[in-house]
Amino acid sequence: MDIVNNNCSGNKQNGSSQNAPSGLNYASYLQLDKLLDCMRPVTAQTPEGMVHDEHLFITVHQVYEIWFKQLLHEINSIMDFFAASFVDESKMLLIISRMNRINLILKILIDQFAIMETMTPQDFADFRPFLQSASGFQSFQFRLIENKLGIKSANRIRYNQQSYCEAITDEDRLREVKQAEGEPTLIELVDRWLSRTPGIADRDFNFFTAYSVQVGRYLMNLKYEAEIITDDTARVTAIASYTKIAESFDSILKTDTHNECVKRGDRRLSHTALIGGILIWSYRESPRFHLPYQLLALLMEFDSLLIKWRHSHAQMVQKMLGNKIGTGGSSGYYYLRATASDRYKVFLDFATLPTFVLPREYIPILSRIMRRRLSVSVNSDD
Amino acid sequence: MACPISNEPDAHEDRSNPSRLNYTSYLQLNKLLDCVTLATADAEGGPIHDEHMFITIHQVYEIWFKQIIHELDSIMKFFRNDNVDERNMLLIISRFNRINMITKILVEQISIIETMTPLDFANFRPFLQSASGFQSYQFRLIENKVGIKAENRITYNKHSYMDGITDSEIYKKVDAAEKADTLIELVDGWLSRTPGLKDDDFNFFTYYSIGVERYLCDLEYEAEALEDHAEKDIALASFNKIKESFMTILHKDKHDDCVRRGIRRLSHASLIGGVFIWSYREEPRFHMPYQLMSLFMEFDTLFIKWRHSHAQMVQKMLGNKIGSGGSSGYYYLRATASDRYKVFLDLCMLPTFVLPREYIPKLSQRMRTRLSVCLTES
Repeated sequence: MDIVNNNCSGNKQNGSSQNAPSGLNYASYLQLDKLLDCMRPVTAQTPEGMVHDEHLFITVHQVYEIWFKQLLHEINSIMDFFAASFVDESKMLLIISRMNRINLILKILIDQFAIMETMTPQDFADFRPFLQSASGFQSFQFRLIENKLGIKSANRIRYNQQSYCEAITDEDRLREVKQAEGEPTLIELVDRWLSRTPGIADRDFNFFTAYSVQVGRYLMNLKYEAEIITDDTARVTAIASYTKIAESFDSILKTDTHNECVKRGDRRLSHTALIGGILIWSYRESPRFHLPYQLLALLMEFDSLLIKWRHSHAQMVQKMLGNKIGTGGSSGYYYLRATASDRYKVFLDFATLPTFVLPREYIPILSRIMRRRLSVSVNSDD
Repeated sequence: MACPISNEPDAHEDRSNPSRLNYTSYLQLNKLLDCVTLATADAEGGPIHDEHMFITIHQVYEIWFKQIIHELDSIMKFFRNDNVDERNMLLIISRFNRINMITKILVEQISIIETMTPLDFANFRPFLQSASGFQSYQFRLIENKVGIKAENRITYNKHSYMDGITDSEIYKKVDAAEKADTLIELVDGWLSRTPGLKDDDFNFFTYYSIGVERYLCDLEYEAEALEDHAEKDIALASFNKIKESFMTILHKDKHDDCVRRGIRRLSHASLIGGVFIWSYREEPRFHMPYQLMSLFMEFDTLFIKWRHSHAQMVQKMLGNKIGSGGSSGYYYLRATASDRYKVFLDLCMLPTFVLPREYIPKLSQRMRTRLSVCLTES
């Protein structure tokens, strides 16, 4: 008999009666009986009994997986918004708050390693043999997250000469993970959204053209300032620096040079999307670009946090295992450390935007029509 | 399909290699991740997005509570022996430190639920009926095992916390934890057995009392010697306060009176034990006990931070609204973020009783030897 239910006057939606067996309570709502019953330490079956720290080991991993599920829930909802042919701008606040939530969760996931690190390598060695070949490499939710974001199969590093797909043995899960790889990923959806940024090259404003002109001016002035330096060494350095800058701008002014970068794998965003990004950054103080700018910042922060997670994970594993060769002939630590690299960064191109944003005095002035367009949000086709 | 390790028929879903454990089967992920059922799943207008996070975060808290209980139980087991084997001190300390690290994450996690707006919460709150964190039995288990006293608890909606627990088996467990030896009681016993308190080798209490008298005598003298009247009055008033406070530790009946009034919990002997350890914490044998006492105080602080942060978050979600039954969840929670719920409060008072260095009694040679080695048998 639920005393709390009995004495509570009805704000209840369903008007449950006093002794309602179907009345929700904390434990039933959270399915605590089932949830907490998932703790099955392998060493509990041994004659010596459970190794104390195995409980922690399981807890930490289960908590990570529950948070991964939550991350997927948020990522899916954000991708749904971006999958529409026009992102309803009134949804931007929601998109940003969910992206922010994802990043906050990631921060906690990084801080959590400190708890696992309270286990000593010797204590881990006491139960590790019982884990057989169970390994985090088999986490299908982590792969789902990676694939939905847009980590490219070609960029992945193999472990134990296995592709990550081979480690997922449940057919349904494998199908889900592979499907995510094949469908439009978050980076692709964001690419399309960026390519539709108003003002890239439309009748009201042709940012690309104006930008190209200004880049020309900027480079010309840079070159001139370098060439008039009297000191020989300083001049040579300045000219070399100018040449590098000119080369880099070339890769954004010329579509084929950009596409070369993409083919080589140095860049991912389409040319138009990249211009869209530069456009947003250049005029981020226009009201309509406030939230888009925040979103780009959050996407970059996401990349940073995920790589910090990978790095912290690798450090922790090194403490637990050293550089030991694991089953199959590879070191878990070396594999994990290798994944904490730019190959696994999805929004890397955003980090390069500062390279292409001109100094303030060169940024093209907005036309009046454009300035007005960027001061209001539109809910339908623009 | 027989699994060599476990007797569970469904312990593994690895179709390729049925007898081997894999990540998913080891963590029971298929079952674990199947525990999210939205109350708004069939609502008109569809399920509310943020309810998923609401469930997730509470489940994560409960899994961590289970972990804390696992660590607490093991620590209390060590303390249940008449003499705590000092070789276990490293383990005890590392496990208690683990509890505190977990609690730090539990405090930080509140920022995640704060990404939900009160308006979004209002969309699904009605579907929760009267489910409430007040009903969390694991939280009560932790509180009771550590030693929160029933009479210090604040009632909510005029309910005692036990009213929130409806499962009779669990009720018995929580009730038993309240009545069994609690951590604070076990620690009390351990502190009161600190070597050197009152035995033939060294009678700390006697020497300490002498040290206190000397200290108070000097304090009074310095106060009296002040020429400026106003300064003298202040100094004498201060001296009297200090003297009063020392009286409550020098005279057992005065201490017991404090306990009776509910402002102290530790026994007189264990309080003296605490002062002893603090006074000679640099002796090797007292290193670990000193660290442990710091961890106990940190635990109290972290838990009260959790209660406070929790209350702040609830205020944002609900305001000071009166909930069903006539009370405000926020006011209740805020009231629990108080010293009534601090278990190791007495340890915070130790600085009051530890004498300035020059007054701390010198250890005898024998005592110094005793405090430089650990005994590994009683």
